[in-house]
Amino acid sequence: MKLTTRQLTLCAVLTAMALALSYLENFFPLSLAIPIPGIKLGLANIVTLFALYALGPGQALLILMARCLLGAVFAGNMNALIFSVLGGVTAMAVMIGLSRLKGLSVYGVSVGGAAAHNCGQVAAAVLTLGSTAPLYYLPVLLGVSLFTGALTGLIAACLFRALAHTKLWGA
Amino acid sequence: MRMKSSPKLRPNGWDGLAAAVVLVLAVACAALVWTGGGQSGPLTAVVSADGETVDQVVLADLTEPEERTYTANGCTLRVTFGPGSAQVTASDCPTQDCVHTGKITRGGQSIVCLPARIVIQLEGGPAADSGVDLVIG
Repeated sequence: MKLTTRQLTLCAVLTAMALALSYLENFFPLSLAIPIPGIKLGLANIVTLFALYALGPGQALLILMARCLLGAVFAGNMNALIFSVLGGVTAMAVMIGLSRLKGLSVYGVSVGGAAAHNCGQVAAAVLTLGSTAPLYYLPVLLGVSLFTGALTGLIAACLFRALAHTKLWGA
Repeated sequence: MRMKSSPKLRPNGWDGLAAAVVLVLAVACAALVWTGGGQSGPLTAVVSADGETVDQVVLADLTEPEERTYTANGCTLRVTFGPGSAQVTASDCPTQDCVHTGKITRGGQSIVCLPARIVIQLEGGPAADSGVDLVIG
């Protein structure tokens, strides 16, 4: 993949933003309300969603992989890498497919991505633990993804509306 | 700079359909996974670390709470087994999700500690005689 300096810089900035959002959501621990390992708002998905529409699947995947790798390095927990990569790549694959459907808005794509992310993370937990016990959490995680996906979809929609008025992305 | 593609920004019926598909998946998944509590035998807590079973406690046999500790992958969990229940009462894992899960009481339920890679899963059902609430006549 050949990137211009501008595209590369934008990818780097978006990766940094995704990492910052991942860190930020630690201050809103959803797991206190719903005690399920790994449950979170998925705010970093806003960046993935934006990159997918604005830059295309290739660069969006690049940002996702950089975010997963750097997130694991910064957290000092390489075991977390399989969770973020499996969750992130599953979500990305589903969002690429859904974003090509003409009827769906950013909300539907986001909800589908959130649900896929949870499926990927549960798969990672099953692989890591060597037990099917994490499947017990999947129905709740899928239910929660309706709300978290709608929330990230709403934020992404606001972002796209705001960017339409800027010089960088405006028509 | 131009967007690669322009997303629709207002939710519509298709998004409702996507949400409905996720909801149906959740319900189907619950029907498959949550109905697994019908196994026979006394209620037993099976503790596994890294996929290997390390302990089994028959909860139906307990008359008073019993505390045991398990260590794996640098984390130590203190688990309290009671008559018909299991709970992680303390853990030095960074996430504390296992502690927040609270008490589990039914077959099929589990407590997962990802950092320790320890799973406490309940198997078996309630005592055999509880299938009948009342006998008349």
